[in-house]
Amino acid sequence: MDPILLGCLLCVILPLVAFGLIMIFTWRRPNLSLAISLVASTIPLIIAWTMLFKLWGIKEPLIFTFNWLVSDLVKVPFGFLIDPVSLIMLVIVATISWLIQIYSIGYMGGDPGFGRYYADLSLFAMSMLGLVISSGLLQLYVFWELVGLSSYLLIGFWYEKFSASEAGKKAFVVTRFGDVGFFMGLVFLTIFFGSLDIAGLNAAAASDKMPPWLITTSALLIFCGIAGKSAQFPIHVWLPDAMEGPTPVSALLHSATMVAAGVYLLTRIFPFMAASATAMLIILAIATLTMILSSTIGMVATDIKQVWAYSTVSQLAFMAMGLSAAGLAHGTLFAGYFHLTTHAAFKALLFLCAGAFIHHFGTNNFFVMSKEGGRKLTIPMVTVTIAALALCGIFPMAGFFSKELILGTLAHLDNKIWVLLGLFGAFLTSYYTFRVIFVMLFPRADDHPAWEQYWEEPEPHGHGHGDDAHGHGHGDAHAHDDAHGHGHGGHGDSHGVPWVMSFPLLVLAGFTLVLGFLQTPLETFLLGKSEPHEMSFVLLASAVGVALAGIGMAWLDWGRKTASWQGFIKQIPALETFFIQKWYIDHFWRWFLDTFIYGVFSKWFTYNDRRVVDGGVDAVAFSCIGGGRWLSFIQTAFLQFNLLFMVVVLAAVGIYLLMGR
Amino acid sequence: MLLFNQLETYLYVALVLFFIGLYGVLARRNLIAILISVELILNAASLNFMAFNRFLAPHPAVGQVIALFIMAVAAAEAAIALSIIIAVYRKLKSVNVEQATELRG
Repeated sequence: MDPILLGCLLCVILPLVAFGLIMIFTWRRPNLSLAISLVASTIPLIIAWTMLFKLWGIKEPLIFTFNWLVSDLVKVPFGFLIDPVSLIMLVIVATISWLIQIYSIGYMGGDPGFGRYYADLSLFAMSMLGLVISSGLLQLYVFWELVGLSSYLLIGFWYEKFSASEAGKKAFVVTRFGDVGFFMGLVFLTIFFGSLDIAGLNAAAASDKMPPWLITTSALLIFCGIAGKSAQFPIHVWLPDAMEGPTPVSALLHSATMVAAGVYLLTRIFPFMAASATAMLIILAIATLTMILSSTIGMVATDIKQVWAYSTVSQLAFMAMGLSAAGLAHGTLFAGYFHLTTHAAFKALLFLCAGAFIHHFGTNNFFVMSKEGGRKLTIPMVTVTIAALALCGIFPMAGFFSKELILGTLAHLDNKIWVLLGLFGAFLTSYYTFRVIFVMLFPRADDHPAWEQYWEEPEPHGHGHGDDAHGHGHGDAHAHDDAHGHGHGGHGDSHGVPWVMSFPLLVLAGFTLVLGFLQTPLETFLLGKSEPHEMSFVLLASAVGVALAGIGMAWLDWGRKTASWQGFIKQIPALETFFIQKWYIDHFWRWFLDTFIYGVFSKWFTYNDRRVVDGGVDAVAFSCIGGGRWLSFIQTAFLQFNLLFMVVVLAAVGIYLLMGR
Repeated sequence: MLLFNQLETYLYVALVLFFIGLYGVLARRNLIAILISVELILNAASLNFMAFNRFLAPHPAVGQVIALFIMAVAAAEAAIALSIIIAVYRKLKSVNVEQATELRG
């Protein structure tokens, strides 16, 4: 067998086997489950890196397919497509997945669901790796849904907590809502194009073999799925709630890899999507709106995971902007994809640092962390600052390079409004990021009035988060009174963070520092050639300028000694309320559900069920009873009358048959 | 041509028997009389089988077998019917069919 094919198969099958083994046999034994899961994630890691090095510089994609579903009209292959795009994503997923599994040893240690946690992580690894190397869209869709399933399982991991199980359900239903559109797009393509093969689709769209209306419609339908998975407006509402899951899960699924699957799909079929300028323009508009919206909400959140969650939404939107702008300006997929790569590193790092703080202090509120002495945790504090600088796009962090590229792509558009909005988004990003960093770095004196304001969180989502890391209501005492207790510093480690947790932080910080300088080799690998980027000085200066301006603004509001700790947004109370209420989008969906789904569809379907379906069955039964009553006069209790009637009828039938001849 | 060597003769006799039986079933009110009339109808059928067997069928045994069957069935039927009649009599102190009106609609 071809070693590459064997590698692909192992990547998909090993984690699946681990999932099955743990779920069926070893879920009661934490250490054995951990060992199985680690083996099943280390081998794909080695395979992924080996393949990247072996296949560095391939020109033609490697495709392995088997027939999966064959009829005379459609043929659905099942297989693997290995090209630079999927190779890089494969490495990202395998690496971060492995690092998270290491990190979780510390974070989840002592949890009664430890085995189940690793089983779910293995299921996720299997589905995500399978998604990345899928050769056809239907196969990709299957793994896409499996990824959604593992996301649901992991968000609701602490299912004893009501808000967590609700958040899991919300994530599942909302993303499924988008996936309906995705599936309709696939059906549409199958009917009118006849194939869902990724390579074939891209080639056909690029060489004008498909009618434009078909491309536009199916691209927009597929974008529904992308918007659901990558949390774009207006169905981004599930991602912030998904932070109810354990923090390593948020780092793996809800920032670095799974939510990036949407953008990955956009990259995967980029030539196809880019063939429709209308679709690209709509995607660009939605992504821009999402970025501004989520950045503004991030400015007022006091839960550190919520800030990073909204930051994830805005960065995903930023990637989508880069890709759609490239589609409009006949550019390449590199800018958006490069940002996906760097974002995976620094956003996973941000979440893992947040997880280290949450694990130590037992709260999600970063004001509380600051008061409790968060800056004394040296490794998380240094690495979170590195990641924050990357998020803002400050040289020499990875984010600097990828954000510059996207802004450069946006600047290529004729309409300059997009690049201005992009710069505005970058400004907001720097502001809310460094709001967190400055609050953590420079706690105030104990009698500062701001503490009162932020200590007890008035926000509806705030109160449920305090017990995220430990007290999830299962009442198992052993989970708490061992070395994993919180807030009392009993870790026996000079940094207060166990090495299994600080090691992934350092690795990711290394990636964050290095990845930016790999821009040219990566571009050569992805596109076959590296084009010189004529980066205009004005754009470069303004990009760095707005990032520094955001940091400066944050310094004025939160950092300096005399800062008010209020935030400039406090000056406009109406706007602040608007942001705290998350632009009332959750309210809108609540209203929409109550009015249209429950008020119209559900009501009428219930009515239909009660009246038409049940009523129909009842009507048949009751008419039988009534008809029997009514016809019972025929039974006169005069037996021979019935017999006579029978004889007469038989005689009549006999005569008719004889005469009828 | 002898009268008793013709198919038609037997068929007419059977016809007469059948109609006598039918009349008895329909017109008599005594349950035992009705039972006797049913036996007449069965005998009419047996006679038909025997006649057709004698004049038309190549194999001589078929009709006789069926006639024997009918006799056995008639015996069983008579036993069941008589027991029903006795049950009716115990309930109604009468074997008149007009008295059995409990299931009137």
